[in-house]
Amino acid sequence: MKKTEQLTDSMFYIMAALTEPRHGYGIMNLMEKTSNGAITIGPASMYTIIKKLLKQEWIYLYDGSDSRRKTYLLTEKGREVLEADLNVRKQMIHLAENGLKEVRE
Amino acid sequence: MRQTKYITSGGLAFAEEQDMGKLRRYSLKGWHVRDFKFMGYTLEKGESRDYIYSIDYRPLNEDEKEEYLEFFSSSGWSHVTSEANIHLFRANSGTNPIYSDQDTTVEKYKNLNSSMKNVSISLFLSTIILWTIFSLSTGTLKVILFFVAAILSSFVLPIACTLAATYSNKWKVKGKKGTAILLRVVPFVIFLITVIGFLSVFFPDNVIRIITSMAIGGIAFPTAIWGMMSLYHIVGRKRN
Repeated sequence: MKKTEQLTDSMFYIMAALTEPRHGYGIMNLMEKTSNGAITIGPASMYTIIKKLLKQEWIYLYDGSDSRRKTYLLTEKGREVLEADLNVRKQMIHLAENGLKEVRE
Repeated sequence: MRQTKYITSGGLAFAEEQDMGKLRRYSLKGWHVRDFKFMGYTLEKGESRDYIYSIDYRPLNEDEKEEYLEFFSSSGWSHVTSEANIHLFRANSGTNPIYSDQDTTVEKYKNLNSSMKNVSISLFLSTIILWTIFSLSTGTLKVILFFVAAILSSFVLPIACTLAATYSNKWKVKGKKGTAILLRVVPFVIFLITVIGFLSVFFPDNVIRIITSMAIGGIAFPTAIWGMMSLYHIVGRKRN
């Protein structure tokens, strides 16, 4: 498994939303609300990523009883991947924050 | 009686964006697309609307369809029609695009590309096998094989071009524009050289017969495919 490969932004957002069971529409809603509309994910992208995450076994089908609104949840493996990626992102944010501070001073 | 009309498509592998632009312009004039038709679309007369259109390529199982369409409808995209693995959607202008990042857009053209690849490879192989058997056989069988092989050969060019176009689409979204353009030209050139070389070396006296078979094949094959696709579509619809 290529552990070094970074998640794409969209994958990261979707995985972050799936720390709780959610369906596609729920994910989109949460994302728009959290980012004040700055982040939207198109339906085709969303579907592609959900399928990919299922295949990687980073998420699993949590509840498929409503065939229009299936809900998904992170697997244990998915949590690990998300956490590892989050750490890299934190470091990058740190770099940006410090860099911007220095310019101002 | 509803008023309908037919418009042609530039071929989705070659001119997807142009096609979508064309559908939008027609919608502004009050003609809205209703269905895929042989090498084009059926439009239906209605009120003028500023709709935008998008295509997605995706093989879907029966149990995946509802969820897939729900994703689109909850983002403001309504499903217009599907043919095989091609799905057409419509939304009011200003709706966010169905693909929001580059990585998944590349996947879109991979979907199209991989289904084209299977068709092309089996076609290439059967053509080569037929020509080989032809050259080994004699008598009536040889004549029959000759026509079948010549007809098959005539599909190789359009299919090769379409396949090349799907690769080119894929690489264009990946940002390799140069490769994309080059790729559209290469198969034409190689194929033409091969065919002309082949014909003049092996069949100096049969060229006209070959060209006739190719012309027949070029018309018959797309028609047959269209027929099968429509049938598949009708059967699928009745089942639902």
